[in-house]
Amino acid sequence: MDKNIPRYNVQLYIYDLSRGMARSLSPIMLGKQLGGIWHTAIVAYGDEFFFGGEGISSCSPGGTMLGPPDTVVELGETEVTEEIFMDYLSSLGETTYRGDRYRLFEHNCNTFTNEVAQFLTGRTIPSYITDLPSEVLSTPFGQILRPILDSIHIAPPGAGNGFHIW
Amino acid sequence: MAEQGAADPVNNNNNNKPEASEGTIIKVTVKTPKDKEEIAIAEDASVTQFKEEISKRFKAKQDQLVLIFAGKILKDGDSLSQHGIKDGLTVHLVIKTAHKATDGGSTSASSSASTQVGSSSTSSPAANPASTTGPAGSGPAPTQTPNLMSGFGDLANLAGLGMGSANFMELQQQMQRQLMSNPEMLSQIMENPLVQNMMSNPDLMRQMIVANPQMQQLMERNPEISHMLNNPELMRQTMELARNPAMMQEMMRNQDRALSNLESIPGGYNALRRMYTDIQEPMFSAAREQFGNNPFSALGGASDSGVQPSRTENREPLPNPWGPPNSSNPSESGGATTGSTSTSGTTNPSVSNPLGINPGSLGNGMFNSPGMQSLLQQISENPQLMQNMLSAPYMRSMMQSLAQNPELASQVMVNNPLFAGNPQLQEQFRAQLPVFLQQMQNPEALSVMTNPRAMQALMQIQQGLQTLQTEAPGLMPSLMTGGIPGVPTGGAAPAENPASSPSSATTSPAQQQLMQQMLQMFAGGGGGSGGAGSATTQTPEVRFQTQLEQLSAMGFINREANLQALIATGGDINAAIERLLGSQPS
Repeated sequence: MDKNIPRYNVQLYIYDLSRGMARSLSPIMLGKQLGGIWHTAIVAYGDEFFFGGEGISSCSPGGTMLGPPDTVVELGETEVTEEIFMDYLSSLGETTYRGDRYRLFEHNCNTFTNEVAQFLTGRTIPSYITDLPSEVLSTPFGQILRPILDSIHIAPPGAGNGFHIW
Repeated sequence: MAEQGAADPVNNNNNNKPEASEGTIIKVTVKTPKDKEEIAIAEDASVTQFKEEISKRFKAKQDQLVLIFAGKILKDGDSLSQHGIKDGLTVHLVIKTAHKATDGGSTSASSSASTQVGSSSTSSPAANPASTTGPAGSGPAPTQTPNLMSGFGDLANLAGLGMGSANFMELQQQMQRQLMSNPEMLSQIMENPLVQNMMSNPDLMRQMIVANPQMQQLMERNPEISHMLNNPELMRQTMELARNPAMMQEMMRNQDRALSNLESIPGGYNALRRMYTDIQEPMFSAAREQFGNNPFSALGGASDSGVQPSRTENREPLPNPWGPPNSSNPSESGGATTGSTSTSGTTNPSVSNPLGINPGSLGNGMFNSPGMQSLLQQISENPQLMQNMLSAPYMRSMMQSLAQNPELASQVMVNNPLFAGNPQLQEQFRAQLPVFLQQMQNPEALSVMTNPRAMQALMQIQQGLQTLQTEAPGLMPSLMTGGIPGVPTGGAAPAENPASSPSSATTSPAQQQLMQQMLQMFAGGGGGSGGAGSATTQTPEVRFQTQLEQLSAMGFINREANLQALIATGGDINAAIERLLGSQPS
């Protein structure tokens, strides 16, 4: 009976925004080792979805200016259809994931990805990603940078062939 | 009627579905995109019953509800326990709107744009993401709140800009513009302790200013400028000025007034014009060619072509209107020069921009600016950018001035709060500084930094060292956790280390020694290879010239032995001496 239910594969694309520089510079700048500055996106139904300064956006997988992802994590399969998913995303995009809600430390692309991953598959994304802001903030350097960083929105361009969900 | 406390096994609904009633009540959280509620339901309830509860709570029709748990859609016929839904777990809910799946919803574009308006088509079936094309045109969303953040939103778009042009200068201009359009940011930067530290050090400022080649040219032409620069009082005043925007404005107004008065005296206008042509034009064009059409010097780096010393000269009484116009020239020219290329505040490139030092650019001491942040991002995305940055003229000059003046650099380091709490680190860093700086100058080192594969290799080595450290702690006493004086140096030959470390005890001189060695090898080995058997670009004799001389002055006349000792210790005189003494018959 269950065989007839279409399942869709869900993946997590992980990008290191610093292209390795964080891994090498973080010990000296922050005093602790960071693996990278992680940006994530969910890939499902043949599209990549992510949250940035412009709200929820989508594009073709690996289609942002960041290029192909550093790591791909298989989150599993979901029975949620694309239609339901888009409804869900629209609702999110009107409320907690509007563009102006972006906060680099507390409510960023990874927050979004985590929530969507749980919605689609029941699993969360690896904790080293979601722990990153607190890792940074727990250093004195991060504290100092905080007011400035708080106002930065990361919005990888290249979502031109997708659309924005408000 | 969902009574929480009700141990009533029969379901809390009105309908009398006879259910097997041993189930306990569990509390399940139901989460929608907009909110979440806790619903109590019997453990063995069916999905239908669950939906009934939900529809009451969320005021939606049952057939609009789509329940999702662990990636599965809960069908009416299923039971909660079948899906493993237990107490305290979360189930996701999507409420479908009346619009069912109209496929090929290319109207999703417009409808999604109008979504904010909260019309009925809110969750309209944006069913076809792939096919919806143009709506990226709703990109710079009119719906975005035009608040403070929007200024910084542009910073995000920088990512695109930077990528497109791979031009560091443009990036800087953008940042500059951001800074100017956003006074809050400016004041934030100003409040930053690092900035304040830097600014309260007039020597530092002076160094940086002087190091800029444009400034040097200018100084040659107009000695008054160097005079001003050399006056620490003046510098300090200027910096105070820069710190205080209100004061700045006041000054600006004074300057304007002064200049306009000047215009009215006989010959005054000519003087002004002369001022402009003599001073401002070259500054402008110099700035322009460096920064590409931006009359204001940009952020980033330390020395700006436009950074000017104060205009406090203008506080002096206005020039004698009956005196010869020339006499007014020097002081005014000094004042006017400040007017030129510099930065924040007005966008008016006229003579009357009196701004002294651009606090924004000063703020860019080392790490603390939004520029740096996006810089890191840019750089990581584009190695070419790194190349550009490193070859940017003022970058060079900053490096140079830092290299020539280790106290300067060490001061900066000291002020860096990262090191503030860790004097040991400071010490180490300070010791390594000269070598580090030299190495930064080394074009080979630079080319390594721009070579992603080389960087990767270095990182691997670094990681290897770390592993080695944990595996064989005796071998390399806390090598990496201490001062790593610059990333690229992290990866020098592991092979050398075991050789040298047993020879020295686990004390900090040993660490320093090792670091020195690695650095030397790196600097000498010209990046890339970074391994044993460093190919030195200079003979050791040349490299250790100074040390050799020192050693011979101390009485170690055996040049050969000195040289060997120096080579073995990587130029560390103290260690070399120990070596020499130790090698003597004991």
